Amino acid sequence: MTDVKPGMVQRYKLAQRVVHWLGVGSFLILLLSGLALLVPQLAFLAAGGLSRVFHRIAAFGFMLMPIVYVAIVPHDALELLKESFTYTLKDLKWFKHMPAYVLGSTKGLPPAGRINPGQKIHHAMTFVMFVTVAGSGLALWFGQSALGPEGLAIVLSVHDLSMLGLTVLMIGHMYFTFLYGALPAMTTGFVTEDYARMEHAEWYESLSPQTVAMTESDDQTAA
Amino acid sequence: MASRYAFSIDLDRCIGCQACVVACRTGNEVASGDAYITVSEEIRRKDNGFWGSFAHKRCFHCTEAPCVEVCPTGTLTKVNGLTAVDMAKCSACGYCTQACPFHIPHVVDNHVSKCVGCLDQVQAGEEPWCARTCPSNAIRFGEREVILAEAKAKVAKLRERYPNAQVYGETQLGGLGLLMVLLEAPGVYGLPEAPQSSATIQTWKTLVKPASAGLTALAAGVMGLAFVFARRQHAKEHAEVHTAAPVEAAVVETPAQTEENHD
Repeated sequence: MTDVKPGMVQRYKLAQRVVHWLGVGSFLILLLSGLALLVPQLAFLAAGGLSRVFHRIAAFGFMLMPIVYVAIVPHDALELLKESFTYTLKDLKWFKHMPAYVLGSTKGLPPAGRINPGQKIHHAMTFVMFVTVAGSGLALWFGQSALGPEGLAIVLSVHDLSMLGLTVLMIGHMYFTFLYGALPAMTTGFVTEDYARMEHAEWYESLSPQTVAMTESDDQTAA
Repeated sequence: MASRYAFSIDLDRCIGCQACVVACRTGNEVASGDAYITVSEEIRRKDNGFWGSFAHKRCFHCTEAPCVEVCPTGTLTKVNGLTAVDMAKCSACGYCTQACPFHIPHVVDNHVSKCVGCLDQVQAGEEPWCARTCPSNAIRFGEREVILAEAKAKVAKLRERYPNAQVYGETQLGGLGLLMVLLEAPGVYGLPEAPQSSATIQTWKTLVKPASAGLTALAAGVMGLAFVFARRQHAKEHAEVHTAAPVEAAVVETPAQTEENHD
């Protein structure tokens, strides 16, 4: 975690990366096993309750994710939560440039902090839909017999629509990751200084001199 | 085979002997402790008095069956007026247990459990086990039109003694595949006068489910196309940044190469 790499800055600690991939793994299993009850052609995966076994094990991991996050790195978890729900007027300017950013251009993009305004919205929506998908899932798991026809239809609709939202968010998340080559942030934990400057200028500026000194071998003018 | 089958149960004839229950469990090899049909003796309140009747708790084989509507795996389907069960497809999700207005289907041993209409027997030209076994001829099975006419004729006779006698299930939910000859109003037997298919379930099935799958696929497609364009755009910008500033080019070169290694 204290690795120093020339020309690179650390973006995510090992603990954060572990929590992220726990979320990815459980989410993908939940998505695929859940599709067994949504797409008739995949219904054979549900026969005998096979997909449900995977769905419930993964659901456990998925719901454990925020608990693990808070338990092992409480400061980072709370910071992420706070940042995701804090918006300023400056963010509006960023959103004006967002269409160009979506299409691959960072020109004229106002400098963003550690989490850019688009990511803030992404995280905030993820938080909200995490709660709705988990809540409706728990209702189906433990409270189904008390739902009745109307309750069942409402809970299923909330569950399906939350997954629609989360899946579209995930695709969008991957879109930006691969567009701007940000994958290393979640694999090695380090991003290039180039990436940090272009995407998160304010964050890059705010890094402590030691961090920058540690990660910059010979480049004194870059910042 | 007939195009639309139906059962009828004449509560005036039923003697509560349980022969149908036993025949059903034996004939269909129903798991121990489970039953597709039950007959119980019920004490009911009527006109400030008490009154007894037999209660048959079993699938009504609705034409517009809410359980079939809600079933996500194709386990429950309509076959010749009966609500058929394909146990091999069942995921035991339990949605049918909540959708049924009569609270009939239940989940046992990881699959749904309810009257299967003895379709295997019917297709082999035999009667269902319950109808075949009933010693008082209270349970009948056959072409729905014939069964309905028979039930109506019985009710006409019963009206002399029971003015509220009626056939239950002629029109409810598109017409039930199990018609009941009742001596009193349905409410007296705890049967809903007008059982409904939930509109919310309809919305979920016809709108929410296809929209969830469709919009996800659409979003993936649109973003896939946009990605191709955006990636090219970003590569161009990246190149511009590095060639436009020759003074900085030397120092920026190292991270640029590193990023390429990561791509």
